[in-house]
Amino acid sequence: MGEILKVSNVEKYYGNKGSLTKALDKVSFSVNEGEFTGIMGSSGSGKTTLLNCVSTIDSVTTGKIVIRDRDITAMKSRDLAKFRREELGFMFQEYNLLDTLTGFENIILPLTISGEGHKTAIEKVHMVAQRLEIEEIIDKYPYEMSGGQRQRIAAARAIITNPALILADEPTGALDSKSARMLMECLENLNKSMRATILMVTHDAFTASYCHRILFIKDGKIFNELVRGSDSRKVFFSKIIDVVTLLGGDASNVL
Amino acid sequence: MYFKLSLRNVRKSFSDYTLYFLTLTFGVCVFYVFNSIEAQKAMLHISRSALEIMKSITYVMDIVSVFVSFILGFLIVYANSFLIRRRKREFGIYMTLGMEKGKISRLLVSETIIIGIFSLAVGLLGGVFISQGLSVITAKLFEVDMKDYTFIFSLSALLKTILYFGIIFVIAIAVNTFAISKYRLIDLINAEKKNEKQKLKNPVVTWLMFIAAVLLIGVAYKMVMKNGIMRFDNTLLFECIMGAVGTFLLFASLSGFLLDIIKANKESYYKGLNMFIMRQINSRINTAHISMSFICLMLFVTIGIFSTGLGITRVLNMGYKDAAPFDISVTAEKDADIIKALEGNGVDISAYASDVQQYKLYLPAEKTTAGTIFSSVEDALPAENLEKIRADIYPLPLHLISVSAYNRLLDIQKKPHVDLTGSQFAILSQYVWQDVYLQDSLERYAKQPNKLTINGNALSVYPKVLSDGIVNNSYELITLVVPDEVLMNCEYVRTVLCFNCKGDSVAVQDEFIEAISAAKFGFGYSYASKSEILAQAGGSKAIISFIGIYIGIIFIITSAAVLALQQLSEAADNKRRYTILKKIGADNRLLSKAIFKQTAIYFFIPLAVACIHSVVGIKVANDAIRQIGSLNAGANILITAVTILAIYGAYFLATYVGSRNIILKNGSM
Repeated sequence: MGEILKVSNVEKYYGNKGSLTKALDKVSFSVNEGEFTGIMGSSGSGKTTLLNCVSTIDSVTTGKIVIRDRDITAMKSRDLAKFRREELGFMFQEYNLLDTLTGFENIILPLTISGEGHKTAIEKVHMVAQRLEIEEIIDKYPYEMSGGQRQRIAAARAIITNPALILADEPTGALDSKSARMLMECLENLNKSMRATILMVTHDAFTASYCHRILFIKDGKIFNELVRGSDSRKVFFSKIIDVVTLLGGDASNVL
Repeated sequence: MYFKLSLRNVRKSFSDYTLYFLTLTFGVCVFYVFNSIEAQKAMLHISRSALEIMKSITYVMDIVSVFVSFILGFLIVYANSFLIRRRKREFGIYMTLGMEKGKISRLLVSETIIIGIFSLAVGLLGGVFISQGLSVITAKLFEVDMKDYTFIFSLSALLKTILYFGIIFVIAIAVNTFAISKYRLIDLINAEKKNEKQKLKNPVVTWLMFIAAVLLIGVAYKMVMKNGIMRFDNTLLFECIMGAVGTFLLFASLSGFLLDIIKANKESYYKGLNMFIMRQINSRINTAHISMSFICLMLFVTIGIFSTGLGITRVLNMGYKDAAPFDISVTAEKDADIIKALEGNGVDISAYASDVQQYKLYLPAEKTTAGTIFSSVEDALPAENLEKIRADIYPLPLHLISVSAYNRLLDIQKKPHVDLTGSQFAILSQYVWQDVYLQDSLERYAKQPNKLTINGNALSVYPKVLSDGIVNNSYELITLVVPDEVLMNCEYVRTVLCFNCKGDSVAVQDEFIEAISAAKFGFGYSYASKSEILAQAGGSKAIISFIGIYIGIIFIITSAAVLALQQLSEAADNKRRYTILKKIGADNRLLSKAIFKQTAIYFFIPLAVACIHSVVGIKVANDAIRQIGSLNAGANILITAVTILAIYGAYFLATYVGSRNIILKNGSM
């Protein structure tokens, strides 16, 4: 199992000399191929900043982020755009689907942007749609879909380019518990059957319980790490709850 | 405190909506300039008749200004409601902070007043400045000299501009206040999060609408080409309505239709951001097709009046020189002594001129008409108009002038003599150049060895067609110049007196006209001064070109500004969409290209449809005007195209740069 992502000593400062905020403070970790990793933390802990840095949407102050042996902190913006569309897939809390496009068109978009021929592109979309069981809704517009359906379209869009790493930012944040469960099963399926490497940010313990490994972040630092190993999801879930309680001041997020 | 807030808001929105402010200022400026025309007499060396005509121009401009103020009023009210819609969220924040709707309205009122005062001040300043330059154009149109420079300022135009725009701003404020009172806080707060529903039309309906549009427009074209536009009647009205309805249907269906066509070609549809661009356009034309149709029709009218207006002034420009070869001409029926009659009224002609000529026109003994000449060169006349020419032109009588009298008239005009042998006659036509076909046929007649019997003398034609005039405002299409001896014992038709004035010609002409209009003759007579004819020609030229430029500029800036505003305000909506594209890996170059394409399609589809309309419109106008001269459409269309493309293109570029800045700069990435 190769190493897909390596984050070493990443720091991110906001503000100026007068009032400096360390959003990330010497964060280091790595993700292996085929791993489903979660990052948990309360609001303001720096988890979204970390994801933004990994996803090249934001830049780091110091430190290195290497994805598939390429140092993204040293890349130019043109190369970054190319890198983003070839190596990364994205899922967001607000789905970020284009409301003017149908589901099908939303999924095919990353392929047309990278200049893939229309025939293979269409084929790929159908294949992914089949796998995610969204063929029936694929010709609808986002406003005609439920939140869960939208997020599954977004998941299809994220994996269509067969990226090295799928980055998910609170994918279940806007979903009810039933849709959340369906989506997580879908992601788990992607991870298992397509060996997709997923890095997911969440503050929801239930969502996190689908991961293999969870990094806890507090005040910009990695605070704890939890590995599921051979635990059942239920056991893992209660372990997560314990850590979250330990994190303190976060009980409201759990209950 | 509210004043401070509104001042800051104005400054903030000023950078966002520079185009709106510029358009407003420009509108004020144009409005002032075209209402200040009468004040320009201060700088022009102008005859009394021209002064009268300038008054009537001012009157026409008054009427046009009312129309223009409606257009600008629409623009301002529309733009204002647009700007408000854009700021829903801001108002939502004010309201959550406890500001009442009344106070928000008051905030808006003071903002509108600040903007209004600012744009009025700048626009008027610009207007006063530009109106100095306009007098050069007026001087050219009236063919008069300019006096020494005097500062031109029209208080009435200033007050009128302030009054009209004041009313418009008050209406805009009322509309805004009404709009604010309808808003609910929850909608204001969530204004930016709303997902637009995609209203999709049934493709079958789209296709039917498209076909109906093409049919309507096609039939309207065909009808208008057949019937012409010389008479404004119900048929023409019907054709216009058909064209307009067709245009509306076209815009309502066009994007859906194009989407279907491009979608069918999967290779180009699924290429780069094409799919996204097409969907963007489609989603907006669905909601914006009414404004686009209006813009298209306005552009069509602009192109039409620019190009035909320019053409008409050129035709008129050529006409007056031949209409007024002398400063003064007096015409009396039959045989008369005008000089003596003037003396009898105490008018000494030598006080006005040093070289005065009095000559007579004669009626030939044989029945000779224009048809006598044209019938022998009929194949040079346009076959489709032959019936009309036969009916209208053939019966016109031909009169005679002696070659010696003609040469004396040429002396006054300081032109070389015409030498006729004892057996020659020459064709003289003051106006015939105005019609290419008549001119061609006369020239062909003169080149052929044609003969004509006049007063029993067989004369052959002089090989050149003469065109130097013999009287101001001639009634004759063709006059024949014949040797003096042919005219023995011939019947008189008219006596004509003509001369050029001494000294300050414009002032002397006015004096003479005053003297002769007070005189009483024992016979019927008429008179025409060059400055009168010039003033009339200048007046019609000025009216046509001023109206053309005035309405043209207002139309084009209004339509371009509406497009720009829509586009810029939607850029903010689109920002979210473009951010998504950026996140999934589209680089800035690709995004800029997409923004460019989107803006270009939005701007140039109405222009393209307007151009197609204009091709037909200009052709029809050309046919109508050919009767008084050819339009030389090519050059006019070029000038029109350059002008429109310059203004419209500037708006387009500003919009593109503006939306790119909104979308790509300080994004959330």
